Amino acid sequence: MRLLTGLALQNLGRRKARSFLLVAAVAIGSGIVFTGATLMRSIDDSMAVGFSRLGADMMVVPDGTLTNITAALLTVEPTDLVLDADTLDKARLASLGRVAPQKIVRVEHSGIGNHHESADLIGFDPARDFTIQPWLRERLNRELKPGDVILGAGRDAPLGSQLLIFGKPHVVYGKLGRTGVGTHERGVFMSFATLEALAGAMSHHGGPGPAALARGKVTGFLVELAPGATALQARFAILSAVKGVKVVTGDSALSGIRQGLAALLDGMLALVVLMFASTAVMVSVLFSAIITERRTELGLLKAIGARRSQMVGMMIVEAMIATGVGGVLGVALGVLVMHLYERSLVYYLENIGVPFIWLDLPRTVAFAAAAIVLAAAIGALGALYPAWRASRRDAYDLVRGEG
Amino acid sequence: MLACRQLGKSYATERGVVAAVAGVDLEVPAGQFAAIIGRSGSGKSTLMAMIGGLSRPSTGTVKIDGTDLWQLSENALAAFRNEKIGYVFQFASLLPTLRLIDNVTLPAMLGRRRPEADILTRAGRLLERMGLGAYLDAYPAEISAGEQRRVAIARALINDPELLLADEPTSDLDEQTEIEIMDELLTINREVGTTLVLVTHNLALAGRAQQIFHIANGAIVT
Ligand SMILES: Nc1ncnc2c1ncn2[C@@H]1O[C@H](COP(=O)(O)OP(=O)(O)OP(=O)(O)O)[C@@H](O)[C@H]1O
Ligand SMILES: [Mg+2]
Repeated sequence: MRLLTGLALQNLGRRKARSFLLVAAVAIGSGIVFTGATLMRSIDDSMAVGFSRLGADMMVVPDGTLTNITAALLTVEPTDLVLDADTLDKARLASLGRVAPQKIVRVEHSGIGNHHESADLIGFDPARDFTIQPWLRERLNRELKPGDVILGAGRDAPLGSQLLIFGKPHVVYGKLGRTGVGTHERGVFMSFATLEALAGAMSHHGGPGPAALARGKVTGFLVELAPGATALQARFAILSAVKGVKVVTGDSALSGIRQGLAALLDGMLALVVLMFASTAVMVSVLFSAIITERRTELGLLKAIGARRSQMVGMMIVEAMIATGVGGVLGVALGVLVMHLYERSLVYYLENIGVPFIWLDLPRTVAFAAAAIVLAAAIGALGALYPAWRASRRDAYDLVRGEG
Repeated sequence: MLACRQLGKSYATERGVVAAVAGVDLEVPAGQFAAIIGRSGSGKSTLMAMIGGLSRPSTGTVKIDGTDLWQLSENALAAFRNEKIGYVFQFASLLPTLRLIDNVTLPAMLGRRRPEADILTRAGRLLERMGLGAYLDAYPAEISAGEQRRVAIARALINDPELLLADEPTSDLDEQTEIEIMDELLTINREVGTTLVLVTHNLALAGRAQQIFHIANGAIVT
């Protein structure tokens, strides 16, 4: 093994121009694959957040609710009418993706803001919500718990401070970014449990309290379309499965963008796979040429008593060193490029409303390792067949450069 | 020591089957110096390649010390070539990416039967004897064709072969160099007792052999 490695290194070292080209080709290929995969995963992760910021595709509310459509469906409208919380789950509609139930009550004299100001108290299920939490701009460094509230961008109170609602103390857990949607800007958000706990305090001010505060009831649902489903299909499916509801469709352009971006990422993945395949083919072609050119040398090795396994081993070790080094350089190059373009990339994405989140370190390292191992594997496989074929021939034919 | 029976090799070409060597019988006792002569294209190199285990015969057998060469497995044949046969080609045959010393040690390194230090010492001594003691670290491209041929001889001798096959080792060299190299080969034959089969155009040299095989059209003529 040491002898074979030594021979391989000698060959690479003495044929600098060719080794350099080979290493460069593999470096470019694996660099693109590594960078592409890392960026794609990062953008994908970022988009998962960015998409949600675009709001839901549609909302489902009780028939008879007055609706005020805004471009992005972020919250349902306050109303006295309610639906059962499991209305949509029971229907099991294939055309629906995520479904987030919400409760909204508009209250006055709650103690929030100045005396006569009305405030929207919005309850959500933290586990299912996809339109509120993506807008969190700052929050306490812990999980959301009962008694916590999140404030819209239009309200001012320091994180962690106490907020009295109908006399009950709450903790300001987080604040949302600016959305431009009224209910969001002035809203006070909390979990269902926190909102339901206010029912007693509210009814004290007269009547049985808003219907939406009852356990198991919601004001409406924010709904995301399943991939590939159209708003029309979903609307039809909902209306035929559930009675007494109204379906409000959001800006169809946004649904289009969301689904289009998902397709774009799939396209990028295809491109990366293609790049990988073309690097593999190129390296194999290169090696079959290199080995053809070196038939005389292989023949001499055979003539002086090298076994076939030694001949093939030497070529494979040489190929793996070259392509492995190429892989390492490619990853280094990729890291450099991503570093150089980080600013403009982050700026661009944030401009279109997507906060850029880099892939976490363990996954990036895994990608880098995979790129290097794959590059070396391509080298080994590319060299294996031509080397094995050459090693089968008579030493004399190889030395004379035939075949 | 060396015995060929009905040895033949034919090539399939576009013009039909060409018999490069046909029905050669020859015997060379151990320690002997035998010469093979014949015109260009008569089949000398093809015959040598079959004897040296480099080219599989179409017909016949090659026996060296009783071992039927072409009945051996791939690996056994490789080991046999490595240990028992030294081969000097008709043309430059050094590995261009290795230093001279590494070219010479390579067959011994491949065989892995001796400590590395011994191999290096012996290779150094062989190169010195060939007058190349100052060039151990040089690369083949940095020395002349005649010097390269001497390195190839040193390489052929590194494993102390029992049979040394030299295919016109001096064909493209000047007369003075030819004499020097041939003297070297004959000295080894005489002093070490290595059986030597030499292909040559030089009839004076062939005259010094104990046996001469004259080849024409792939067959031995007398
Ligand atoms: N691979 C091959 N395919 C077809 N014909 C071949 C092949 N190798 C050798 N021959 C033919 O076999 C014959 C013998 O060739 P060989 O090289 O053995 O001759 P030679 O006696 O060594 O000649 P020289 O003195 O020029 O070296 C030639 O006619 C040659 O054309
Ligand atoms: Mg010849």
